[in-house]
Amino acid sequence: MENSLNVKMKTLRLALLFIGMLSLSANCHAKNNCPWINEATASGLLGGDAVNEFTEASAGQPAVCTITQAGAGFTRTLRITVEMAPDTHDHWQAALQLCGKNAAPLQAIGNEASMCLLDNHGAGLAELVVGRVRDQLFTITMSTTLKDDLILTKMSLKEKIYTASEQVAGNLF
Amino acid sequence: MRKIFCSSILIAGAILAGHSIKPARAQQEQAQQDKTQPTPDAAALTPPPAYTPRPKGAPPAEDTPAQREAIARWKAKAEQATQAARAEHNAVVTPTYNFHYGKKNPYTPGNITVQGDGFIQPGAFPSAEYCGTCHQEAYKQWRQALHSNAFRTPFYRTSVNLLIRDKTRGISFARHCDSCHNPIGVLGGALTEDSKLDRARFDADGLTCTTCHSVLSLDSTNGNSSVQVGVPSALVDENGDRIPGEVPFDMILRHPERHSKAVMHDFLHKPEFCAACHKANLPDPLNDYKFIRAFTAYDEWQLSKFSQRNPLTFYTADFTTCQGCHMKRAAITLPDYGAKDGTLVSHRWLAGNTAVPFYYGFDEQLKKTIEFLRTGNYLNVDIFGIQKVGSDKLIAPLGRVAYNLAPSDAVQAYVVIQNKNIGHSLIPEVRDLYEAWVEFTVKDANGKEIYHSGFLKPDGMLDPRAHSFTNRPVTDEGDFVDNHKVWTIHSVAYDNTVQAGRSVLVRYEFRMPADINGAVTVTAKVNYRHLRQSYLDNIFGKDDHPAYPIVEIASKTRTLKVGDNQPEAPDTADNEDWMRWNNLGISLLDQFQYMEAVSAFNEVVKLRPNYAEGYTNIGLTEIVWEKYDSARRAINRALAIDPNSARATYYDGLLQRRAGNTEKEIADFRKVVEKFPQSRDARRELGITYYQKNDNKAALEQFEALQQIDPDDLTAHYNLSILYRRMGRPKEAAEQQAMFVDKKVDPGAPTYSLNYLRVHPEISTESIPWHIHSDLVDAAGAPQNGK
Repeated sequence: MENSLNVKMKTLRLALLFIGMLSLSANCHAKNNCPWINEATASGLLGGDAVNEFTEASAGQPAVCTITQAGAGFTRTLRITVEMAPDTHDHWQAALQLCGKNAAPLQAIGNEASMCLLDNHGAGLAELVVGRVRDQLFTITMSTTLKDDLILTKMSLKEKIYTASEQVAGNLF
Repeated sequence: MRKIFCSSILIAGAILAGHSIKPARAQQEQAQQDKTQPTPDAAALTPPPAYTPRPKGAPPAEDTPAQREAIARWKAKAEQATQAARAEHNAVVTPTYNFHYGKKNPYTPGNITVQGDGFIQPGAFPSAEYCGTCHQEAYKQWRQALHSNAFRTPFYRTSVNLLIRDKTRGISFARHCDSCHNPIGVLGGALTEDSKLDRARFDADGLTCTTCHSVLSLDSTNGNSSVQVGVPSALVDENGDRIPGEVPFDMILRHPERHSKAVMHDFLHKPEFCAACHKANLPDPLNDYKFIRAFTAYDEWQLSKFSQRNPLTFYTADFTTCQGCHMKRAAITLPDYGAKDGTLVSHRWLAGNTAVPFYYGFDEQLKKTIEFLRTGNYLNVDIFGIQKVGSDKLIAPLGRVAYNLAPSDAVQAYVVIQNKNIGHSLIPEVRDLYEAWVEFTVKDANGKEIYHSGFLKPDGMLDPRAHSFTNRPVTDEGDFVDNHKVWTIHSVAYDNTVQAGRSVLVRYEFRMPADINGAVTVTAKVNYRHLRQSYLDNIFGKDDHPAYPIVEIASKTRTLKVGDNQPEAPDTADNEDWMRWNNLGISLLDQFQYMEAVSAFNEVVKLRPNYAEGYTNIGLTEIVWEKYDSARRAINRALAIDPNSARATYYDGLLQRRAGNTEKEIADFRKVVEKFPQSRDARRELGITYYQKNDNKAALEQFEALQQIDPDDLTAHYNLSILYRRMGRPKEAAEQQAMFVDKKVDPGAPTYSLNYLRVHPEISTESIPWHIHSDLVDAAGAPQNGK
């Protein structure tokens, strides 16, 4: 009986420790506020209440905001990465390779920016902006898993990602 | 989505900038010519609903009982919905809002306020697209104008972000700037650390239609957005009560007069409305230091000839408001139900900003801005005279007198630049960011440069020894505030602006080449760049942006021949000879060269013996020169020619004071005040006279009137504090005393300026009113004559 109680207590302690570690990890890993766009603005763009997860930059990795709005059977996502890059113009051009030949220059976003529709292989839509403000390189991806999303249509996606880009670049200046 | 192609003007701007472009920048410039700009324009608007205006003079439409009831129902519903939304909004925003300046001051350091309790939800403001449906021309213009882009531009964001990121400040301090640049954000409670507001629309629209058109009253002319914004409304009901929010278009089109009542107020046509934001100060809550005047285009206008409120201007003009220049009526190209006879007042607010349309690719706005700057006859550039170095004789006015030049002659050229028709200073407002300067060149017949001042260096920076119409605000360490961190400004090391109606004399020295034959051409230009190169570098990074446009506002070229030069017929664009002398006199007066100024004004009266103002100019110069007897003779002569001259009467008042004729002094100043009730100088002097006469009541009346005209007048603060105390009004006395202490320049501030000037000899020379731009050297190769 005592043994069984000890085992249960041990299990409980381990479970508490695990939960504690998890929450500690979550606290270290995620902050509620994205530095470049607030949750309300992102929610407005994604068409509903969105949840933000922010990861600070670490060795060689950019800082990332992932803002998701999940519904019944679909997810809309706004993902922003920001990193410092010397020779930023070259880095920016390299990052543009993600767009292939589809990159369209975008006026009045940061120092320079381009956008393109990403090939999602038929699984929803995704638009990408690659831009920079001085020596800060940023990428913004806005996507939906819905094939015929009424909120993020091909047309509105371009307008919405432009708005998101203006918010991000504005906060990076 | 539409594509905008940058016009050749932009490229011309880059070429004019005359500096090499590094590969990255060259690519940027190329790319800028073919960019996608998704900001919606008028083409994206819903077509306007059908509308046939009622014939002119026809009475407003009569509503049936059913129509009246429908409007009443709509109003009740709209009020309920707006109030509920506002309450809900406040429940979300208020708990986490940073009330840094206390619960009663949610918008401090801005002066903006809003009707009703608590923050107002951004959704209460009808969108620009809603207004644009019936006002497509206004919408199209507004979208490219500075007002709609007041917040989002990198030029603004970089500055305000510095304030937000500053460890001793933060976002709540940014309410000072955003009250004008993003008022819906401020009033909605977005300016707090953990904002709960969707910022997309109000950030992108800056000053939208329903910010200006919802203002209910102007709280004062203190600036910093000193307005009360009402709950936005597009229509009033039959009783004149405002219906909040958007209403169906058919309601508006049935009662356009009620729409006007909701959105148009008389003050929208007045300069005081513009003053709300085109006048700014840096208050103690922002800088933890003291009140510092940032800029005031409004007061500059009020002191200009265009206001007709100041009897002391050198010239006169028809009454013209800010709107008269910056909102000129023009033919419409898109449907706009606000148009009158096919024309609409401009919602482009054309002025000097070329940077924003350049960045956004708003080619039409850029083109019109450049046209505006060039076609306004705003400046007059006059290569007025030359003086051979070593001789006292001024050969002037150039073109009108004969003279002889020889090879190797060292020549000093007098360039007089007149702020002729700008209703404010050259350059106005944040002149730490803008750049206007004189480019002066001397070239031989083959185009070879003999002398060049005001060139651009390869990195785009302006020749540091150029004569520029800028300023240099400095910190308490004496460092130039290069990045518009206005809260760190403690002093201004120099300010070379030219006030409205005044002139400046810029002197250049050069030597004719020893082997020259033929002629040299001398050209003086006033160039304008928005913004300074180092500020653009702060925003985009050095060598990381295209060259921004440079606009030549005005210029003058003269040919100087070796040998004999004969008088010529004047150019039609030149000022008349008397005015050329008059402008020289004004500029010499401002350089404290009183004897030379009197000589110049004497030339004016020789050419126009019945020009009373010429004698008044002699009189006023002699007053400041403290030669009162001859001043009296000149003023008497002016009054003999024009007994009703308020300007001469004012100076006569000063001379009567000097002579101890108090009653005549009072009579003079009263006469001026009767003619010009908003003359701050006459009110001030009359107040002083009454004060000295111990007529406290009359003195109080004048100083209170003066404070109504200029709420920052130090003499008014000082004297009112004493007068209120004498009259047993200690609270008001203490308020005036506090304002005097806050607004008076810190006696220690000049030392900050000196710290800067000590290490910047080129600016130090510029800060001296009388200086020469010269590259002459003596036999040992050392500079001659200062520069």
